[in-house]
Amino acid sequence: MIAAILAPRLRFPLAVGTIAVLFLGLFLLYPLFSVFQASFLDPAGAPTLANYARMLTRPLFYRSLANSLTVALWATVATVAIGVPLAVCLARLAVPGKTALLALAALPLVLPSFVGAYALVLLLGRAGIVTTALQSLGVPFGSIYGMPGLVLTYTLTLFPYVVLPTLAALKAVDVSIEEAGQNLGAARARVLFTVTLPVVLPSILAGALLVFMEALENFGVPFVLAEDMPVLSVQAYKLFVGEVGANPASAGVLAVMLVACTTGALLLQRTYIARRRYATQARAAPPEWPARRGLRLGAALYCWGVVLFALVPFGAVIVLSFVRFRGPVSTGELGFDNFVLLFARSPEPLFNTILLASGAAAGATLLGVPIGYVLTRTRSSLTHLLDVLAMVPFAVAGTVLGIGLVIAFNSGFLVLTGGGLILVLAYMVRKLPFSVRASSAILHQIDPSLEEASINLGVSPLRTFFGLTVPLMLGGIVGGAILTWVTIASELSATVVLYSAPWATMTVVMFQALEGTSAGAAAAAATVLVVVAVVPIALVYRLLRRHQAALM
Amino acid sequence: MRNVSLEIADGEFFTLLGPSGCGKTTLLRMIAGFCELDRGEIWFGATRIDSLAAHRRNTGMVFQNYAIFPNLTVAGNVAYGLKARRVAGTEIATRVRRALELVQLPGYEARWPHQLSGGQLQRVAIARCLVIEPAVLLLDEPLSNLDARLRVEMRGEIRALQKALGITAIYVTHDQEEALAISDRIAVMRAGGLEQVDAPAAIYRRPATPFVASFMGTTNLLTGAVIAGDGVRARVQVGAVALDIASDARAGPVTFALRPEALRVLAPGSAAPPGAGTLAATLAGIEFLGALTRLELALAGGTRLIVATLDFRPDDLAVGQVVTVAYDPAQATAFAPAAVDP
Repeated sequence: MIAAILAPRLRFPLAVGTIAVLFLGLFLLYPLFSVFQASFLDPAGAPTLANYARMLTRPLFYRSLANSLTVALWATVATVAIGVPLAVCLARLAVPGKTALLALAALPLVLPSFVGAYALVLLLGRAGIVTTALQSLGVPFGSIYGMPGLVLTYTLTLFPYVVLPTLAALKAVDVSIEEAGQNLGAARARVLFTVTLPVVLPSILAGALLVFMEALENFGVPFVLAEDMPVLSVQAYKLFVGEVGANPASAGVLAVMLVACTTGALLLQRTYIARRRYATQARAAPPEWPARRGLRLGAALYCWGVVLFALVPFGAVIVLSFVRFRGPVSTGELGFDNFVLLFARSPEPLFNTILLASGAAAGATLLGVPIGYVLTRTRSSLTHLLDVLAMVPFAVAGTVLGIGLVIAFNSGFLVLTGGGLILVLAYMVRKLPFSVRASSAILHQIDPSLEEASINLGVSPLRTFFGLTVPLMLGGIVGGAILTWVTIASELSATVVLYSAPWATMTVVMFQALEGTSAGAAAAAATVLVVVAVVPIALVYRLLRRHQAALM
Repeated sequence: MRNVSLEIADGEFFTLLGPSGCGKTTLLRMIAGFCELDRGEIWFGATRIDSLAAHRRNTGMVFQNYAIFPNLTVAGNVAYGLKARRVAGTEIATRVRRALELVQLPGYEARWPHQLSGGQLQRVAIARCLVIEPAVLLLDEPLSNLDARLRVEMRGEIRALQKALGITAIYVTHDQEEALAISDRIAVMRAGGLEQVDAPAAIYRRPATPFVASFMGTTNLLTGAVIAGDGVRARVQVGAVALDIASDARAGPVTFALRPEALRVLAPGSAAPPGAGTLAATLAGIEFLGALTRLELALAGGTRLIVATLDFRPDDLAVGQVVTVAYDPAQATAFAPAAVDP
């Protein structure tokens, strides 16, 4: 009825918008509201502020909040400090093996970060290989648990979030503004600090925000490394699992706090970005600097050093998975025992991971691509709402979404808990912003007049979308879907709240192995997760390279 | 868009001309169906099309950036509209071949867009539109991405093709020379409205508003007060000098245009042609443009005048010299007070 009176041009956006709003309303906003509601209810179900009053008097709450923010802040500072020079080197200096370097620099993003954390424990933990070796030599070695380990892990796994957008921005800077700076008498280094870096600052901040959010909401890394240092995401989970009574009020309070922190960071960054428009019309990217030998050598050592150092933990965990363990102690012998042990229990988790990730990646792509299309190609108040809504999942920690989904769909009109579908839905919600942004990025490179030409020649808008636009986008869509798949396969924070025994995934197996004492099984599970991530990426590497810059 | 009402004849080459942001492209896109109309109607012959979806309007649009589908060959691009119209396969091949011959790209069927130059891409875009035999051909600044020489060559070809096929064409451009060269009629637009609709020569010689006069090439726009008028001629005081112009004004302020080529600097000692008015002026600047030389003159009272001359010899005149300028009062265009901006 409504569609009939609307202009035909608006039917497609309206249909997409309706589906998106229904989906996100049901599986994101409603669960979030449930968490919010739970934090304001007493065990009898009456509205109260007592939960907040109780939490606000507990030192644990303040320690969690302070720890979470401190870790996230330091991780952000460290990644920017490491990532920006790396991006500058890659953009402006002749570093040997740049292509390989770029591929390897992006790799930590798709590798599960808690595997990196676990590898750090295996190497530098109490019974770690490096620790024991150092101790046998009589070298005293402090603890990597708590703050230092967390910041180190986040820095090593999240620095690509800063490098990739900064690099893309540096390459998009118009050469003439740098030349203008030099022409006016500034030395190259001065131009870098007074012109180039300020111009790419919005991109650096966009990357920094991703690091901050990820460090704030990550569950696996603090679970492995924080030990007795409380952080919000882990405390919310622990309270939720241990909550007595029907109402997860305390967990709700922490979840609301976590959402408030991420939303605050997001809004802060948005207000900053909105006030600055530095886009330059790049006709030609600035060329590499003619650098002295010493500088070139330094840059090469720095780039390769950072990138390889970030991958060392993952390499180590793969090696260790082939070492026989007795409990947490390695025997030094090689063998496949760990994998035998791992898959003898059950091969199901691997199949679950593949099945759930495939379903969710397909779902997120099918939903995300039309949303991205509507956001890029139409401008109205509807698309504005859609734009904001599609980015909300970004501000919601996985643990919080998991808790919300459990509260919302544990009973009532729709019961989903205990099944595989709830995992698929959680993944779809979490990865939707990624799909939407990836598809808008591709669409920005496709001239809208191509679609108009097709319509003008007599092909209806819908058939134009499927017959022309989708084929033109296909490379990017497939690349984006595979990246989505890979990040879903290593998702832990929502999974750990939502999974039920028959639907345990590889990340759950890894998680359980961490709680137990079998270091071998955990290492084997970690290796499987790394392989699950790297193999699809390697297969579509060529496809992805074209879209890597567009992803941020 | 405001109060735009146009009637374009069958087989006419009609141009929408105006500065960027004047609404010419919007009007074209309204005809193609890519912009909504708040009010008003668009008809093709006896069919009202403004409520029709864009893909049912049977227009052929040539885009500024060609909009050639990069994933299809030249033949695939040209056949695109025919396939949408479910034309039989054998007929498609024949019609594609004929269309490519028309745009002088015979045998290019199997080429890919990335193998073609800008001019060739534009030919494919034109073939792609012609092949569907559209009710009207819409061209949105189709030559602006080509270099100057190719632009002149292509506009001649487009014009010849349009006349040969007898197709109605609506052409959008901001280039007044292109519009004058190619059109049967021109509509000059400004700020979403029509300023003047007429044949090229009439637009140039008898601009309806000061805006049209200044947009159609360099001109002298002068404002003064009528000090005497007999209904045919008026004597106008501009600054410290008085000019006679063809105008029915008898009193009050008046704005008029004098084309630089309607002015002549008289050689010392020579007399003005009969009927011409003369003015004394100081030569303030000389701009040598090749075939043409543009002289800037200052009249008593500071008014500036531009004079274009074809046969300028550098030793004739020097900056600072006092000269006599002759003008033909009949060639001055006075504007109705309503046409002049407040």
